[in-house]
Amino acid sequence: MIWYNDLNDGIVISTRVRLARNLDKTPFPAALNDSKKAEVTKKLNASVFESNSTLAKDFESINLDKLNRTEKISLLEEHLISPQMVDGSGHSVLVNKNKTMSIMFMEEDHIRLQVIMGGYCVDEAYDLADKVDDVLEESLTYAFDERYGYLTACPTNAGTGLRASVMMHLPGLVMTGNIARVLQSVSGVGIAVRGLYGEGTNAEGCLYQISNQVTMGLTEKEIIDKLKAVVNKIADMEKQARDILEKNHKPELEDKLFRSYGVLKYARSISSAEAKTMLSDVMLGQNMGIIKCDGKLTPIELMVKTAPSVIMAGKELTPAERDRQRAELIRNNI
Amino acid sequence: MMDLFSELFDMFDSMDMFNTQNNLRSDNNKCPVCGHTWGDFNRTGKFGCGECYKTFAGGAEGVLRQVHSSSQHVGKIPSKSGAEIKAKRRLEELKRELKDAVNKEEYEKAAKLHAQIKSMEGGASK
Repeated sequence: MIWYNDLNDGIVISTRVRLARNLDKTPFPAALNDSKKAEVTKKLNASVFESNSTLAKDFESINLDKLNRTEKISLLEEHLISPQMVDGSGHSVLVNKNKTMSIMFMEEDHIRLQVIMGGYCVDEAYDLADKVDDVLEESLTYAFDERYGYLTACPTNAGTGLRASVMMHLPGLVMTGNIARVLQSVSGVGIAVRGLYGEGTNAEGCLYQISNQVTMGLTEKEIIDKLKAVVNKIADMEKQARDILEKNHKPELEDKLFRSYGVLKYARSISSAEAKTMLSDVMLGQNMGIIKCDGKLTPIELMVKTAPSVIMAGKELTPAERDRQRAELIRNNI
Repeated sequence: MMDLFSELFDMFDSMDMFNTQNNLRSDNNKCPVCGHTWGDFNRTGKFGCGECYKTFAGGAEGVLRQVHSSSQHVGKIPSKSGAEIKAKRRLEELKRELKDAVNKEEYEKAAKLHAQIKSMEGGASK
């Protein structure tokens, strides 16, 4: 199931695991011209489509050179390709039917294998990525060194090539003014916290991405356990912050959340930033049992579906037209 | 425009993002697979291919230590190309266990481990 349709307690929104892999004795994509990239991509495609695995039937190949910029940004906003793949040429991606897996070719590394799932499931996501990695390796020889592990273009990914990240919704910590303290406390343990939309403490929609920075000197399991320990700690702090809000500031909180709900339900034009902030409020309201939404889409789903390029769906729209379309989509579905 | 780029590159060099200036001076060779030099790495922060890690081993070692506080991979080994490495790691693990068993005076366990190591070393040398 696509990640934003499969939520649980609302603090951990989604889990993403990415493995970086390269082919042996082949220059990394930045050092290849387009025809060489196409040659390598053919080999990589064959590792999936000509394998005996069930994967072959599950994946669709998308050549990004054949898409316009808006279509590429739409894939980016669904987290199926990386920002680097929107520009430049020679990129392609394999996406499975339920959009939980994408295998990016010719990004910074030859292969970026990604699993993205709704909820908190780092172990499951890694196990799946690990299995697909084994299938690819059956017909490919990876650039691997006994001492340095999987070799990658950027040394920050070398070793395991593993980046595991968890997207968290932390409005309680933002509203109680504790987010900066939390972000500071986890830095220095090899874990990075970034705003999903915008950096640092001003992340739109109170969405934060928690991920491992260190990829070498630890096993995959150790990396994942360390990440989970930090995520659990942050989730506890968020719960505490929500308890404090409920106990000491309930009338103000209810007023704020219902105002946001009201705007989303009736507005005729709304910007992406305003929509994210208010959808975040409604999401918190739902999770705390304050607001009951009976709409067709969840707030997080609306956040994804109302991102500028997703709203445009390949068409050219002015910002004003986009804002009107966004308001309409939210109004009809919240 | 080019002036702007060269100024930026100079700036990256002077920032020495990976503290690699000393390694750079001693290493002017080109990677045989991709043709990159250590200067290219210092400018972009990226290697040109897997072989670069060997070609510029001294520099790579320092960079990895700086980024990860370690330069030793202990995670997954590819099943196809890594059979030999896996066997080697298993041997090291058995030797550690043997040492541990001897220290704890668990001689029966130590004897078993010793036999296992002997047979693996015999297999490796064939």
